[in-house]
Amino acid sequence: MANLFVDGKYGDRGIILGNEAIARGALEAGIGYASMYPGTPASEIIIALDKNKKNIKNIYTEFSLNEHISLHGAIGASWSGIRSLCAMKNVGLNVASEPAHFLAYTGVKAGLVLAIGSDPGAPSSSNEQDDRWYSLHTYMPIIEPSNIQEAKDFTKKAFDISEQFSFGIILMAPSRLCHNAGILHFGDCLDRDLISGNFKRDPENYLNLFNLAVKNHKKYLERSELLKQYAYNSELNMIIDAQISSTKNSRIGFISSGVIYSHLIEALNFINADYYKILKLGITFPLSEKLIGEFLDNLDEVVIVEEAEGFLEFQIKKIAFEIGYHGKIHGKNIFKAYGELTIDDVIKGVSGFLGKAAPEHFTAAVNKSEILSAQIPQRMGTFCVGCPHRGTIYSILKASGYSNTDSKDRDVIIAGDIGCYTLGLLPPYNAMDWLTCMNSGLSIGQAISIADKSKKIIALVGDSTFYHSGIPVLMNAIQNNSDILYIILDNSWTAMTGHQKTPSTKTDIDGTPVPHSVNLKDLLKSLGVSYIKTVDPNSVKRFSVIIKEALKEKGLKVIIAKRECILQEERRKKIKNLKSKLENSSEIIYELQKERCVKCNECFVELACPAIQSVKENGINNGKEYYFIDPVSCVKCGVCYEVCPNSAIRKVEFNLNPSIDLKSQMHFLNNK
Amino acid sequence: MKKFNIAITGLGGQGIITAGTILKNAVLDSAMQDVSGSERRGGAQREGYVEAFVKYIFYDSIAELQNPRKNMHSPMIASGDADVLISLEPLETLRAASYVNKNSVIIFNTNPHIPISVRMGKNKYPELDDILESLHGITENVFYYDFNKLSIENFGSIISCNVISLGVLFAKTNIPVSKNVIENILLKGSKAKDNLRAFDIGLNL
Repeated sequence: MANLFVDGKYGDRGIILGNEAIARGALEAGIGYASMYPGTPASEIIIALDKNKKNIKNIYTEFSLNEHISLHGAIGASWSGIRSLCAMKNVGLNVASEPAHFLAYTGVKAGLVLAIGSDPGAPSSSNEQDDRWYSLHTYMPIIEPSNIQEAKDFTKKAFDISEQFSFGIILMAPSRLCHNAGILHFGDCLDRDLISGNFKRDPENYLNLFNLAVKNHKKYLERSELLKQYAYNSELNMIIDAQISSTKNSRIGFISSGVIYSHLIEALNFINADYYKILKLGITFPLSEKLIGEFLDNLDEVVIVEEAEGFLEFQIKKIAFEIGYHGKIHGKNIFKAYGELTIDDVIKGVSGFLGKAAPEHFTAAVNKSEILSAQIPQRMGTFCVGCPHRGTIYSILKASGYSNTDSKDRDVIIAGDIGCYTLGLLPPYNAMDWLTCMNSGLSIGQAISIADKSKKIIALVGDSTFYHSGIPVLMNAIQNNSDILYIILDNSWTAMTGHQKTPSTKTDIDGTPVPHSVNLKDLLKSLGVSYIKTVDPNSVKRFSVIIKEALKEKGLKVIIAKRECILQEERRKKIKNLKSKLENSSEIIYELQKERCVKCNECFVELACPAIQSVKENGINNGKEYYFIDPVSCVKCGVCYEVCPNSAIRKVEFNLNPSIDLKSQMHFLNNK
Repeated sequence: MKKFNIAITGLGGQGIITAGTILKNAVLDSAMQDVSGSERRGGAQREGYVEAFVKYIFYDSIAELQNPRKNMHSPMIASGDADVLISLEPLETLRAASYVNKNSVIIFNTNPHIPISVRMGKNKYPELDDILESLHGITENVFYYDFNKLSIENFGSIISCNVISLGVLFAKTNIPVSKNVIENILLKGSKAKDNLRAFDIGLNL
């Protein structure tokens, strides 16, 4: 796939991810600059370009430290005449909202597209915000593709629109599109030899102060009006005429956009009602009053099918008022404003509104699943086997007197933050007291330390989140002498989004040293932190003693829990083993001896490593249950060995015989 | 237009997404075919629910292919609208059972992965017999195997569960794609020899 992503030409077809289709559209449009702070579901947009950059001429890719920097970077490239793509997740625009609010004032030179991965249902986010509302004040035009082909085609087109009207363009892609994988018909790429930057001063647009800002404000409102005229004629918006006439049905219409439009089309087919008048909006801001007016004409009722709070409904109702439309406009009275709007929701909403029953196999399945779902235990994500964050969370809980098995609550407040360690808020750990946005942990925590002096506070932050916007928060805590323990979980990578480098990354996965990596301890020292301890989070006993000691001290304390992400460590090992072919090496195995195990649950529930599993003796339902370490998933981190109070877990070291086939020896050991 | 919907579900790290991608690559030869389907990705986190939808579309005519009322497809599978459900974990089979109807085929892995809530004693993991009873209440076409055991016995790890399940898919359903196409895709991929053997194991179950 990677080759087709770079070398694909008109006529080629391939399976591609929605995010990659967006990146490919940008590539076809001849971008030279791509930046993002990683965030699910948008990450693969820039990953696709970054991992192929050696084979793409004149491209610069950057995983910036935060979205504010990332969007500014794209703006700088655009002003230098280089088409630029910036990507981020929905909440990223909160951080980048500052540059976004100036982009209309200054305008662009080369096309600039800001691709936003929204996350309805919040499967990987801390909120469900619909970033389209930002455009009511940033005035950034919004384009919404419905499928993989449009993701590519609309992105390409967005660069032209950006240049024509001098706006940065928002390309909205919900996770259902970002992570839709299917067929893409490729187009040709612009000649990449022509990409070269040349920044020219443009004080009239780029300087914004006093009346200069007012003048630019007026100018972009005028450009937005011109864009409405463009939207009226654009093929990105499409009216599908009704296929029935002179019945009541011919006076009902539907309006939709993006992935929800694809749900609508499928839903209408599903209930054999594929004959209504439909307006598909590819440009959802600004809306053309003329287009909406023409669509509403002759309709008695219109249904707006969209996710979240009703951004289209808000705009269309305003237009309807202005043009004196007297029909009924439905939207959020039918479709919920929270959670993901699924294909099921659209089928139910549309069939309910039209009074046309959904097929029997659908209603039967819906009814059945309601009965079934009551019996199915919830499954929640947890740390990977061997994840150093498990050691950190376990150590904190032990230091704070928490025990899940005898329902003892902890006596410290734990401030959560964004990253893999966020999973610590889930059972069995319940080790977080709030989770909102990036670096809310320490900043809210330090105020609580002032407001409620009776409690101890631990604030958590990962290395990537710390570098994102945590340094000012820490400096603020130092300057105000906050009484708080700050634990930086430094695993050297932005792990949750696919292991992008952080300033802490010292060695790349292939072993090459990373230039300009930051010595975190030195940084903390120079910021003025006097209490700094570094600890291996997998040494849980030592770690919890250090936490207990730190909690006794007054003022700001920082502990660096330093251990590389286990997934990266394992990858590194694999590469190394392939190189050295493992001659004369030894192998460690941890074994849980069932005759010594009293099922105290220290490893199984408190530590809750997924490699420790339970099985019923002889596979009988009523047989005695015992615990064992699954050799297939165990990565030999040894934490369970350390926590077992009864020495039931044994560490066995084998010296592998280099003269015998290694694979068969490992097979023997694993099945022991 | 002919459609064939496959829902693949399981847990992070089981190769659910890979299985979906293999199936999607099977319809690249003709412009009259299309495929899409969204993925729910576990990210780096293990134990999380993962699903991949494979929605095959076979157009009857160019006119249909160009008709905006027909050529747009949701990335999701509606309740009861999957022709096949493949699940690599018993509990997740039950969770995804809403995708199937009385004519659908269910293929699932009997090897359980116990969720934390069960570990903590707050919930009970359903017995295999109860799971089977629930599934049989929806469709008679239920095929189940211990894919973990088969994969470990043959390949020394659970890495091949997904490809073995694809073999079963071709053995037990009327999927409108030739198995030779899948074999060619596996042949071009990494670990071709192991994957072809895993596919063959599934075909012969």
